Amino acid sequence: MEITPHILVVDDDREIRDLLARFLEKHRMRVTPARDAREARRLWTAGHYHIVVLDLMLPGESGLDLARWMRTQSDIPIVMLTAMGEETDRIIGLELGADDYVAKPFNPRELLARIRAVLRRAGETSPRTEPTARSLRFGGWTLEPARRRLLNPDAVEVPLTGGEYDLLVALVERANRVLTRDMLLDLLRGRQAGPFDRAIDVAISRLRRKLEDDGRNAQLIKTVRGGGYVLAANVERA
Amino acid sequence: MIRRLIPRSLATRTALVLLLGLAVVQIAGLTIHAFDRMDIQRLAQVRDLAVRLMLIYRNVSLAPPQQREDVLRELNRAHDLVAMLAPTPPAGELPETPPNLQRLLRVNLNLVPLSAALRPREFSMLGDPAWGSMLVGMQMPDGQWLNFHADIEPPTPWHSPTFLTAFLLMTATAAILTLWAVRRLTAPVRTLARAADTLGRDVNAPPLPEDGPSEVATAAAAFNTMAARIRRFVQDRTEMLTAIGHDLRTPITRLKLRAEFVDDDELRRKMLADLEELEAMVSATLAFGRDATATEPVSPIDLAELLRTVLDEAGDARPEAADNLTYEGPPHLTVRARPFALKRALANLIANAISYGGSASVRVVPPLAGTIGVAIEDAGPGIPPQELERVFEPFHRVESSRNRETGGVGLGLPIARNILRAHGGDVTLSNRPGGGARALVTLPA
Repeated sequence: MEITPHILVVDDDREIRDLLARFLEKHRMRVTPARDAREARRLWTAGHYHIVVLDLMLPGESGLDLARWMRTQSDIPIVMLTAMGEETDRIIGLELGADDYVAKPFNPRELLARIRAVLRRAGETSPRTEPTARSLRFGGWTLEPARRRLLNPDAVEVPLTGGEYDLLVALVERANRVLTRDMLLDLLRGRQAGPFDRAIDVAISRLRRKLEDDGRNAQLIKTVRGGGYVLAANVERA
Repeated sequence: MIRRLIPRSLATRTALVLLLGLAVVQIAGLTIHAFDRMDIQRLAQVRDLAVRLMLIYRNVSLAPPQQREDVLRELNRAHDLVAMLAPTPPAGELPETPPNLQRLLRVNLNLVPLSAALRPREFSMLGDPAWGSMLVGMQMPDGQWLNFHADIEPPTPWHSPTFLTAFLLMTATAAILTLWAVRRLTAPVRTLARAADTLGRDVNAPPLPEDGPSEVATAAAAFNTMAARIRRFVQDRTEMLTAIGHDLRTPITRLKLRAEFVDDDELRRKMLADLEELEAMVSATLAFGRDATATEPVSPIDLAELLRTVLDEAGDARPEAADNLTYEGPPHLTVRARPFALKRALANLIANAISYGGSASVRVVPPLAGTIGVAIEDAGPGIPPQELERVFEPFHRVESSRNRETGGVGLGLPIARNILRAHGGDVTLSNRPGGGARALVTLPA
């Protein structure tokens, strides 16, 4: 992460654009603000960006249409700003291929953590060859990224907290590879208060309980000596 | 005192009035019927008596005078009629016979064919059939009197074998018809009451059918108009709240960003905490304003894990209460629900328990008679009994809780109830005998 990430921020509120630019620049990122979809398209062709932060509620052409258009242009990671409580917007956005979302009014630090996590993920797997999967199946369980939900083998939803979901996605996307505690810590940062170290262990033990994976003799999420976890299962993408 | 004896229900009152009226008419009708019958019986008795008297008279008058006593003895068999020969007309302490009966008797006595020479020279009558006996005398052509003493049976207006059955049948039919008609007529009142009750719980309840008798249709139409006005009023208010909520998101976002540029860590932390609180209020307002359950599809979800997840999240958000959050019940329990909405409802109830009671113990009662029960209990001071139902009204809060520590805008419980009722369940509050409050959630299994 030596290069400064360049972010295209699309939001119709001038104050938010400016403040967000200042905030992200304070955290060593480069920001180009855009007021609406038209300006975003103009800036898109004029520059090169690592990630787009996109408000879905834009005057004129909607953020969803803009995201759809961007997806036809490149695999650039997109973090959506959705209106609080508008579940349908969020689901459509994630189905369109946005990488993550933050509900407005968002916590700036949480947004920063999401941007970093998405950038890291993009850096690891880029260039991205496959589109975001509609579902990830492992050991009888199914993860649906668009709805951020986990289904058990009987297709019954097993509720997860936001942190547990992020953790599980990270483990599933890198199945059979060891994730260090540091990587997992990054995922949870901005999600919750309190000591992160303990939060990882707590979240893993809760995940094991929900996946009916016996903590003493875990088969699905295995603890790796030296500090890390691995999901031991084959993942089918659909 | 009398007031207490009057039945309370309109149907019973109306039925009572109608049945009383019916009884009066019945009694009057029966009386008229009885008098009629008595008159007819009298006439029949008199006619019958006349024929019998004439037959005896003929036999006696036809016999030679010295054999008359013997003939009479032959004929004197009936117990209610005694005949005797006498030189004078009958006499006794009896009233005059009513003139109409005299006329009737005289006409009937002449009905029996008799030669002119044998016809009685004179009649004498005393007594009234109503008194039970009559004295009748007939003077034979030779001047001797044939006197009769007749016992007349009192009239029996009720003595008909079918009378009682018919009367009871008629009364029962009338009573049943009255009750049925009254219930039918007062049914719209009950419907109206039920509709008003439903409207109190759900402003979007379907309108009343505007049919039936014109008065009922008018009342239903007026009720529907009122319901529509209330609905519009509630909608306006919710739309206004939603609009405010939407508009507040931008300034809150700005403030959160600005807070990040405050160098004083303590000040920044406090500002962010205030903003979180503000956001929670806006979020609750928006959730209340939106028909949260309308758009979300129903799908199967593990209720047991949902409750544990909500408890985990509550514990993460408030580490000081984390040790007082317990779950007791089956490890898995599948229900069909709208996951986001149901989670919001349960999270509101658990957050309430933690805010007001400092703890939350969740107990799941396995399905019984098609219903799943979830008890969410706390160890706080409980809720004043008169507030147990009022706390479900939007923006209502127990007076003592209107302070900063417990926060909230008074929408948590109304939202929870709206969502649960939309799922076919409900939530009620009660105080536990040992202290603390209990929210009892029911959901269809």
